[in-house]
Amino acid sequence: MGIQPTELSTDDVHEDADVAVREEVAGRSPTQIALTRLKADKIAVTCIIVVILFVLIAALAPLLTKLFGVELHQGNPVTDLDQFNFPNYGPPDHGFTWKAPLGIAPNTANDLTAEWFYGARTSLFVATVSTVVATIIGVVVGLFAGFSRGWLDRLINFVIDVFLSLPFILVALALAPIIVGRFGSQPGRLVMWQFISLLTVLSLFGWMTLARLVRGEVLSLREREFVMAARVIGVPTRRILFKELLPNLIAPIIVSISLGLPAFVTAEAGLAFLGIGVTGYPSWGQTINKAVNYFNTYPIYLYAPVLGILVLVMALNLLGDAVRDAFDPKTRR
Amino acid sequence: MRMKKPAVVFATAALMTLAACGGGSGSSKGPSANPTNAGNGGSAGSFKNADAKAPLAVPSDASTGGTFTVLTNQVPSTLDPTQAYYTDSTAILSDLVLRSLTQYAYDPDTNDMQLIPDMAVDLGKPSADNKSWTFTLRDGLKYEDGTAVKAEDVAYAVKRSFAIAELPDGPTYQTTFFLDGDKYKGPFKDKGDYAGVTTSGNDITIKMRRPFTDMDYYASFPTFTAIPQAKDNPQTYGKKPLATGPYKFADYKPGTELKLVKNDQWDPNSDPGRLQAVDGWDFKFGQDTAKLENVIINDKGSSQTTLTYDNVTPSSYRAISSDKGRLVTGTSPCTYMWYLDTTKIKELEVRQAIGWAYPYQAAWKAGGEIQGLTRVPGTAILPPGTAGRVDYQALDGQDGKTTDPAKAKALLSKAGYKPGEYELKFLFATDDDQSVAAKNEIVKGLKAAGFKATPIASTSETIRTDRTDYKSPINVRSSGWCSDWPTGGSWFPAQWAGSLVGVEGMPNIANFKQADMDAQQNKILDTMTPEEAGPAWGEFDKTMETKYYPAVNTGYSGTAMIHGSKVGGMDNDNVRGMPTFARMYITK
Repeated sequence: MGIQPTELSTDDVHEDADVAVREEVAGRSPTQIALTRLKADKIAVTCIIVVILFVLIAALAPLLTKLFGVELHQGNPVTDLDQFNFPNYGPPDHGFTWKAPLGIAPNTANDLTAEWFYGARTSLFVATVSTVVATIIGVVVGLFAGFSRGWLDRLINFVIDVFLSLPFILVALALAPIIVGRFGSQPGRLVMWQFISLLTVLSLFGWMTLARLVRGEVLSLREREFVMAARVIGVPTRRILFKELLPNLIAPIIVSISLGLPAFVTAEAGLAFLGIGVTGYPSWGQTINKAVNYFNTYPIYLYAPVLGILVLVMALNLLGDAVRDAFDPKTRR
Repeated sequence: MRMKKPAVVFATAALMTLAACGGGSGSSKGPSANPTNAGNGGSAGSFKNADAKAPLAVPSDASTGGTFTVLTNQVPSTLDPTQAYYTDSTAILSDLVLRSLTQYAYDPDTNDMQLIPDMAVDLGKPSADNKSWTFTLRDGLKYEDGTAVKAEDVAYAVKRSFAIAELPDGPTYQTTFFLDGDKYKGPFKDKGDYAGVTTSGNDITIKMRRPFTDMDYYASFPTFTAIPQAKDNPQTYGKKPLATGPYKFADYKPGTELKLVKNDQWDPNSDPGRLQAVDGWDFKFGQDTAKLENVIINDKGSSQTTLTYDNVTPSSYRAISSDKGRLVTGTSPCTYMWYLDTTKIKELEVRQAIGWAYPYQAAWKAGGEIQGLTRVPGTAILPPGTAGRVDYQALDGQDGKTTDPAKAKALLSKAGYKPGEYELKFLFATDDDQSVAAKNEIVKGLKAAGFKATPIASTSETIRTDRTDYKSPINVRSSGWCSDWPTGGSWFPAQWAGSLVGVEGMPNIANFKQADMDAQQNKILDTMTPEEAGPAWGEFDKTMETKYYPAVNTGYSGTAMIHGSKVGGMDNDNVRGMPTFARMYITK
């Protein structure tokens, strides 16, 4: 049997301290705990700042190009290039100039600073939209699969398997000429449809892992008491899915988003490098594709977009890791 | 005929879509476009030398022995003598392995190729009406196995060239010009005799069904080599053709590698055009461009005797330009053109306006061509090096690289169009960066000159079929043409004859049909001697462009090949745009 408090000496009781700790813990949700942990994580904070910088560059690309006094496709190959088709001014061969801080492209004389800014825009826009769409599809499909049991679950699982078995690059490669064939004679609409097809391809191949993850979580959650209780008192299924289950899935979803973003940035660049994706609009992948032949004769052409992708993807990845650690109840750092 | 190198077809198909890029600002680096004796409507005689004497002298700086390594991105599709029709396969076969009735040899004095005798003692004797040609074989010619070359073997090779079903993709002039060419199907299907070719002793006589003035040129194709009928199997002969030239096949892995070694049965005293200065040749096909360029530029060890016949890329061009001796430049006989659809763009003024509006230099640069090196500016349709070529300006002051928006606008308003009213539609390949970049420049240039420019998207794979589709919604087509031999006879009847309008495959790309021009062509083809025909084609070229302007010349193709420091005798074969393999040696 236990010792009665009154039987203890007063020295053994530390009521004040105990109470204080309990109060602090009691008032915090898992998200709040995660945010606190993130704030304390120096790498995470640095990465957030880097990502915000890139977002600002992407959002303000037109302003920034004006600020630098450059614009897309402004160069004239006849006057700006020498007889080797190499630039007549700009780094690295002719020293730094504000006229072209990152130099101009051989052959086309396009301004590389402007291409870089707009490339950041393409990268982030494509990655963000694809991530959002893929996340929405993944969460909804996962919720339904996990909660439905029976034939719907099996059907959804089959569809997920089908999508996982489709070769992503091949589908993208096959789709590109179809789009060109269909919209080739309408230059304006072609770029729009290339964008849409790129976003569709990326989103369509990005939701399966999240759907499986969510399905697994739902399978375990739906047997819990609070879900049982909700069903017993007759809460509609939709409400159970989105009000009872979804809030409990925030952590895996956020982790999936933060790890998905860098994956989409790389995928977009990879597709552009292969010559599929958007052609009428600058993107880092396209610039890299054009620049690989110049890796030793005009390195800045290649390094600027490579560095852009490297820093952005690294920041997003480290941030994703930090977010995952912060949300993981098992990590104690 | 079509552009010959497979990869060239590919690259240009995309490029030509719109940009066909070209020539240069006459920079001091300029290639030896060498139009000196090519122009001026000179006599065709300067391109032929029936008296070339064997043997060819070995240069004094040549060392003995050694092996050449030839690295290339290209892959020859076949090395069968009858099927060889690409510049790379014909050059390898004709220069090194197989002797034909005639051959091309590099003439250092003029920097041009000359047609000289090969297995035949002269360049052939035509009958008065050009309907029969007789070639006489030299005595003592031998195959690599020591057996004698007979006139019957050459006659058999000629018959073999009609077997298009068994041996496709070769040149097909024999079906157009030779006797019964439309009926005879080759020795495999037709067991009977073929009356078109007869032999008597060392003489081979070829009979024609219409006058063929250029038979001596055509006889230089590997098609006109000697093939012993007893040893022929159409499926496998191309794997190891029986050598008559200075080198023979040692090992051939199609698509990967070809090793040649000395042929000890070849007699230098019977050959006025070839050397046997090295022990062997090692061709490696399908190599990575950046890698092979680095190997050659670094010039260490065995790469000193390494060369390529691929055009140098701009990035490597700058690296090699400090070492000019290792860069071989010149022309290859192709002309890139913007073919203006004369059924859609009917006004001459509008067509001429396009000639002033086209942003030649900007489009060339954006398309990755080095001005004046891999593309050479010009106005005549016939490229430099063609017999009887006339250098002219179809538009007064237009030298093939000048863009003048003001003149274009003036011509447009003369034709009754306001700026931005006349629409030009042309194709480009969305998956080809250079095609897209050149398109951007062309759109810019056309807009500045008062046109409305509408680029139509296509892909590298579909662009050729889109271009040759009569129903395509385009009124300008970017394409080109290469010589089979350096006279107008391999140019105009193939692309500019009115009878070709409407034919499947759209050979007459500009849909050009004018009665007076057709009459002039027939007159040249049917009544003139080879000597008269050359200058007549040159004049035809000038008249057509000046009077009708159905095509904008967007530059001649140029050649810029790099080699190691110990490669000697490598010049540009401007008939094929290939190295002069036949005369190459390793320096001391």
